[in-house]
Amino acid sequence: MVLDSATMLWFVRFLFAFTIGSHILLVSTSIALSILISAAEFISIRRGDKVYEALARRLTKVFVVSFGVGTASGIVLAVELVTLFPTFMTLVSQTGVIILLYTEMFAFFLEILALMLYVYYWDSFRNRYAHWAASIFVIAGTLLSAVLITMVNAWMNTPNGFDIATFISSGFKTVTGVQPWAVFLTPSTVTEVFHVLPTTILAGSTIIGSFFAYWFLRSRDAGEKEMFGKALKILGAIGIVTIALSVITGADEISGLLTTQPLKFASLEANPVNGTNLPEKLFGGIVNGKFEGGIIIPGAQSFLAKLETGISSLPGLNQYNQTTNPWPPLFVHTTFDTMVVGGMALGAFFLLYLGALLLKRRPYETKFFLYLQIPVAVVAVLVYLLGWATDEIGRQPWIVYNVMTVDRAANLSTSLFVPGILIMLFYILILPTTFYFYARIFRQSDGQKEV
Amino acid sequence: MGAVLLLTAWETTKKRVLDYIVPIWEITGTFGAFWVVTGDFAYPSLLIPVAELFAPLLTIFLILFVARSSSIVFAEFIIKKRWLDEVKLFKAYAVSTIVLGLVLLMLVSALVGGQGVDIRTSSFSLASWATAGSIVFLLGTLLLSAGLAPAFFDLAPFRRLILPLTGAGIVLSVLSYYLMASALLTWWMTIPVLLTLGLGLLYLWPKTMRILANKAVFILVVCVAIFSLQPLVYPKVIGQSLSIDLVTTSGTMENAFLLAGGLGAILLAVMIGIYIMVAARGVSGPDTPISTS
Repeated sequence: MVLDSATMLWFVRFLFAFTIGSHILLVSTSIALSILISAAEFISIRRGDKVYEALARRLTKVFVVSFGVGTASGIVLAVELVTLFPTFMTLVSQTGVIILLYTEMFAFFLEILALMLYVYYWDSFRNRYAHWAASIFVIAGTLLSAVLITMVNAWMNTPNGFDIATFISSGFKTVTGVQPWAVFLTPSTVTEVFHVLPTTILAGSTIIGSFFAYWFLRSRDAGEKEMFGKALKILGAIGIVTIALSVITGADEISGLLTTQPLKFASLEANPVNGTNLPEKLFGGIVNGKFEGGIIIPGAQSFLAKLETGISSLPGLNQYNQTTNPWPPLFVHTTFDTMVVGGMALGAFFLLYLGALLLKRRPYETKFFLYLQIPVAVVAVLVYLLGWATDEIGRQPWIVYNVMTVDRAANLSTSLFVPGILIMLFYILILPTTFYFYARIFRQSDGQKEV
Repeated sequence: MGAVLLLTAWETTKKRVLDYIVPIWEITGTFGAFWVVTGDFAYPSLLIPVAELFAPLLTIFLILFVARSSSIVFAEFIIKKRWLDEVKLFKAYAVSTIVLGLVLLMLVSALVGGQGVDIRTSSFSLASWATAGSIVFLLGTLLLSAGLAPAFFDLAPFRRLILPLTGAGIVLSVLSYYLMASALLTWWMTIPVLLTLGLGLLYLWPKTMRILANKAVFILVVCVAIFSLQPLVYPKVIGQSLSIDLVTTSGTMENAFLLAGGLGAILLAVMIGIYIMVAARGVSGPDTPISTS
């Protein structure tokens, strides 16, 4: 294999995608765990239910592991941003975007200090609500970290806060007109943050739910089953709320692209030409300038867009000259559709779950739903990763949309190749080991004894 | 310091060392990330040269960092399964921490002293870095860690080692500075030398031993000793070839940096205050996952 610039560009992209993909699996689980622990402790205090307290204590140990490995992988990303995309980071550091990363560090400190109080001084709190309050600060820290890093991504999609024209015309050297605090609110920040939060929690909670469902089915210990059932009750509620929010905010986000990134919209929807009364196209793709294959639903795309935004004239790829407005890889239409179909499947599952709850059928203890929880987790993770892939691939070849391309931002030194392979191999070892440890730690305590 | 003790004297030192390290190792890592992001904020123009020079070394650093974090967090909660137990995992943590520390020292010595760096070709060579001065610098630091460790962790049985190891560490460290760049040996050097020696000596007398029992005092003295080395190189880095003023953020971003840092520092101070308050009021609960026995 020849390590020329083109190869190194793909390698650098893949390396970062690999590490960030691994990282978001860890943090989605962390965020969901923090919410589950807090809910369990609150219920235990309110009802005097020792099983919920035992659940919270056991999950806390898992959370400590999750946080530890998650923080380490976050640091890997912070350093990789500099080593793999130094030109991008130089721009980030000269504009207010670095403040987002800087304040994220204080969110980490909030989270870690609250976690240390929560874990290592559990029985030092005379007032149980005061101890529970520490869990709220843990959640606040984790969510704030997620919000701030999503804001960075939103800025990459819709940059603001500096004189872009001068930056480009100076040969990407001169950064002027800096408004540092403007980056906290770009045109896509609100839609992106409000979509990322529920989808992240949904992915994490289904991963945890699949664990509890599996062991509920396998366990013969009544105490353990009671604990797992209570966990599944909370996770079911989290799932219902987050899937509903994900659907609503997802529609908002795709609609937002009509004004902020119309070329991205045209690519995701695989519109070869612009127009009104455009069909929705499930799968298929563009071949020689025409859409082929897939399932066509006449007029549906325009109908949905008009319903959401009032806009009926939709963008097409024909409006963008590939030389001056490079297109992203068009397989992004497939990743987008797979994400949507997967999301609809999740929606169907949780709708059924809600129905069963309302009919008092106790879905958290019913074999049908328990067996389904496991493939649901796989689908949820796939949907989550595809969502991010769609967002990132849909922005290509830009790292900062319409400002800086990935090849301009990247470090293409071949000296990165071997260390990069090593880090990926290390992650292949660490990631499954970490999830295995979660399961081992949780199950190594005696449930009855704890209660 | 703790890592050295865990590797060389596990049975006699594990309780003292782990009681300190286990609750704080995560925040140590978080401060590491904080240092990276603060560096990005403060020195934007340095990022491209740092990436070009040190990307492979930094990638190795990252693997060690994840290994460190994973091994200690797994060690906190593992129950022995065949060959893998907490002892092996804590020792894996110790090894990865020491190697990580050495890699960090390599980076720092290259960034400050310019060892192994070729500015013209924007490259870093490990072979060129490995001069006598650089190797002696690492050895001196290791000896200082080993020498001061008994004082920091209040391990009286090891106090006889403090003076010889710390003394040897100081001698090698000063020698390394001479070998790297003799111009670095100014009168400023007496401050860190006296402070470091003082830490060792304070522990040897029972009356002053109590002062060092307060780890905040120890850490403060070490910070002052390290910061006192700054004037040796400031305001230039990479072997005096680059002025730090040319790469430091300024103008609007400087003000934003100060404001964000100030607000963050207030939040951090409040959180640490609450932590100290709770910690002082109670001891670790029965669920403290430190399983040293």
